[in-house]
Amino acid sequence: AALRCQHYPPLRALQASAVLRRVSDEHKKEPFTSSSQQHFDSPPAGHQPEQEPQGPRPSYTGQGGQESEDYESEEQLQHRILTAALEFVPEHGWTAEAIAEGAKTLGLSVAAAGMFHSDGSELILHFVSECNAKLSKQLEKEQKLVQLGEAEKKPIDEFLRDAVEARLRMLIPYIEKWPQALSILLLPRNIPSGLTLLTSMIDDIWHYAGDQSTDFNWYTRRAVLTGIYNTTELVMMQDSSPDFEDTWRFLENRVADAMTMSNTASQVQSTGEAVVQGLMGAAVTVSNAETSRAVR
Amino acid sequence: CRWRALLARPAAALRALRGLAAGPEMHFGFQSVTEEERREKIYQVFESVAKKYDVMNDSMTLGIHRVWKDILMHKMNPCPGTLLLDVAGGTGDIAFRFINYVRSVRERQLQRKLKHHQNLSWQEILENYQKDKFNSLGDSQVVVCDINREMLKVGKQKAQHLGYSEGLSWVLGNAEELPFDDDMFDVYTIAFGIRNVTRIDLALQEAYRVLKPGGRFLCLEFSHVSNPLLSRLYDLYSFQVIPVLGEVIAGDWKSYQYLVESIRRFPPQEELKAMIEDAGFFKVDYENLNFGIVAIHSGFKL
Repeated sequence: AALRCQHYPPLRALQASAVLRRVSDEHKKEPFTSSSQQHFDSPPAGHQPEQEPQGPRPSYTGQGGQESEDYESEEQLQHRILTAALEFVPEHGWTAEAIAEGAKTLGLSVAAAGMFHSDGSELILHFVSECNAKLSKQLEKEQKLVQLGEAEKKPIDEFLRDAVEARLRMLIPYIEKWPQALSILLLPRNIPSGLTLLTSMIDDIWHYAGDQSTDFNWYTRRAVLTGIYNTTELVMMQDSSPDFEDTWRFLENRVADAMTMSNTASQVQSTGEAVVQGLMGAAVTVSNAETSRAVR
Repeated sequence: CRWRALLARPAAALRALRGLAAGPEMHFGFQSVTEEERREKIYQVFESVAKKYDVMNDSMTLGIHRVWKDILMHKMNPCPGTLLLDVAGGTGDIAFRFINYVRSVRERQLQRKLKHHQNLSWQEILENYQKDKFNSLGDSQVVVCDINREMLKVGKQKAQHLGYSEGLSWVLGNAEELPFDDDMFDVYTIAFGIRNVTRIDLALQEAYRVLKPGGRFLCLEFSHVSNPLLSRLYDLYSFQVIPVLGEVIAGDWKSYQYLVESIRRFPPQEELKAMIEDAGFFKVDYENLNFGIVAIHSGFKL
C-alpha cells in the first residue's frame, strides 16, 4: 500500500470526474473527500458519489446512462467549451480547431472537439444565440430605465436603429471570419436553426419597440426589419470605413425608408378610401338625377 | 512500468491466477472454453495469421476494410498534437492512417500561416521554415499496443517498408491491463480488436483510465446486421466463403472459422453501447457502416 501511495497521487482516479464535479462543485460547494483514495482500485471513476461523508445528497445507484445531475453538466460543459472556443475564432476561424483550442484552455483533451460537428456550425449557432441573449438583456435594461422615468422613450426609427446597431456591433471582433460563418449558416442542415434564431431576435426587437399589433402588420413589420438587418449585415461585411460609419449611415437610410413606406402606405390607403367615397357619391348623384328625370 | 501496474492491481493478478485454475466458461467462436484457454487460443490464432493478416483482410472484405478505417479516421478528425493509443493495432493500419491525416492537416496549417506572413523579413521567413520543417507532425504521436508479438513484428516491418518512422512507437501490452499511466492519451482506438479481448469490461475500464479528461474512445468492430435479407447473404458469405479463402490464401481454415464465429458471438450495437457507458464514458454513440456489418462506437471521458 505504501508503494501504491508513492506512485499514484490519491485523487488521480477521480480526476476524470473532477471536470464534472467542478461544475457541480461550483453550484453545490461539495468538498472533495480523501476517502476516494481507498476506492482507487474500483472501476468507473466517474460515478463515486457514495464517498460524500457529509451532505444529504441522494446517492446515485448504478452507472449506466446519465443521472439528471451529470446530464446537466454535460450540456453545461459543451456550453463552456464553445464559449472558450470563441476566443480562438479570429485565428482559426469557425472550425473544429478553434473548438479544440477552447477545450485545451479548459484542461480537456483536444479530442473533446469530436463532440461537435466538424464544420463548426455548433460554434456559430452558440455565438449567435449568445449575442441574441445579450441584446435582449440590453433592451430589457433600457426598457426598465424608460419605465422608471430615467430615460426618454425613443421614437420608433431611432429605437430600431440603435437595436440593430448594438446587435451588429457584437460581430466586430469576429468580422473577418463572419462571412465564413454566414456561408456555413446557409448550409441546408443549419438553415432551420439559423432561421429560428434570426426570427426570435427580430421578434424581440419589435417587442421591446412596443409593437402590439395583432393583424397582418405583425408579419409586415417583422419581414421589413429582417430585410433591414440582413442587408445591413452584408454591407458591414465589406465596409472598411472607420468604425463602420458607412454601415450605420446605410442602416439609418433603410430605417427611414421603412418609415416612409409605412407612412406612404397609410396615405395611399386614405387616398384610396377618399377616391372610393368620391366615386360612390358621384354614382349616387347620377342615379338620383336619373330617377328624378324619370319621375318628371 | 508494467510491474508497478501489476502490484497496484492485486485484483487483476488474482483474476489471472483464477483463470489458470478453472476460469468461468467463455466463448471461443461457437465453442465453450475457460478464460485462460480462450486467451491462449486467440494468441495462437493471431500468431498463425500474422503474416497473411493484411492480405486476408483485403480478400475477405474485398478491400472495403480500407474504407472503414478511413471513415474511422475522418470521424476522429485529429488535429496536430494529438496523442493516439491504438490498441490491438497489430499491423499498424490505423496508426499509418493517423500519421498521414495529421501530416496533411499540419501542411494545410502551415500553408495558412505562411499566407498570413506577408510582411516578414527574409530572416524571419527562414526561421519559420526551419522551425516547422522538423515538425511535420506537429508533435502528434501514436503508440501501437498489441498483445501478440508476431503481429507487432509484422507491423514494424510494414512501417519500415512504407517509411513511417516519426511519431510512432510499438508496445507489447494487454488491453485488459495497459502498461501506461493514467490520463495520458487524447484518443484511444481499437479497430477489430475488442472482439478478441476476453474481458471486454476490463478493456473498457483500462481505456477510461489511460484517457485524458475530454479524451475520446473509438471502437471499430463487426456488429449485427438487422436487415433480414442482407443478414442472410452476409451469413452465407461468412460461413461458406471466408473459411475457404482462409484455407486457400493463408492455409488456415480454423482461424477464419473462429473469426466468423466470434463476429456472431459479439454483443450487438446497443449492448456494446451500454457496456461503454458502464465504464464511465459520456455521449456514447454508434454509427453503422454498411447496414451494421461494421459499427463505430464513440464515447468521451468527461
